[in-house]
Amino acid sequence: MTAPLISTAVIGHEFGPYDVTIPADRAIAYAEAVGGSESPAYGDTLAPIMVVAAALTVLIEDLGLYSGGLQTIHAGQEVSWARQVRIGERVEAVGRLASNSVRRGNHFATVVVSYTDSNGVEIGTSSTTIIVSGEASS
Amino acid sequence: MSSGSTQRAVGDVLAGFERHVTQDRVNVYAEASGDHNPIHLDEAYAATTQFETRIAHGMLSLALVTEMLASEFPESWHKGGKLKVRFSAPVFTGEIVATYGEIISISETDEGTVATCSIGCKKSDGTDAVSGRATVLLE
Repeated sequence: MTAPLISTAVIGHEFGPYDVTIPADRAIAYAEAVGGSESPAYGDTLAPIMVVAAALTVLIEDLGLYSGGLQTIHAGQEVSWARQVRIGERVEAVGRLASNSVRRGNHFATVVVSYTDSNGVEIGTSSTTIIVSGEASS
Repeated sequence: MSSGSTQRAVGDVLAGFERHVTQDRVNVYAEASGDHNPIHLDEAYAATTQFETRIAHGMLSLALVTEMLASEFPESWHKGGKLKVRFSAPVFTGEIVATYGEIISISETDEGTVATCSIGCKKSDGTDAVSGRATVLLE
């Protein structure tokens, strides 16, 4: 089995760019999963955290964390957002491995992500810290 | 619900809410996020993990916290809001969680008046599933 990228990637490794445009059907699913009577009316816009989650999903796939035997814990998350994003608006995400260390057989990795609109303007950033355990990760 | 700075003070409690994190909710969130990790969806697989049963996506719990922030600060949360949290404990499907928040400081910055809030999401046994800080412009 090929070693997952988490085992080999060095700090500074870049991920993406990923197209994390959220179509209407996924926005509706998000509202159903998360929303309630107290939720704000988003209209034709998205909760930014949904864009972050979409990027995180593809990042985890690229890091090889769906490989057999690995168990991933999402340990921490940072998000900052500059403006609202419309449903269907093109958003691109580029990630960079900010840290990747092994302690007691577990990988501790942080990936920072920049989100840009179709004009190349940064509209948000995130930082995700994960802990990966499993024989294949060490 | 308001985002006006003059109506906010240190010690103000944000309007939290409870959510029953059902498996149906987790399944739909998987469709929304694209995260189909079997630890969230497949009980047989999840039984082989350290959690021994299915857990909700951490980002689902965080999304609930951000719903609270978006409700409290509808004008500004999505325009300059920031958060930093840690995921302290897994939320198992079927659990009820409650979001919470409180303004712990208000300061003047170059960007305007900024509130810092302690935020999080607790499980019914009082354990924090998510906890951290958020900052949001008040004007």
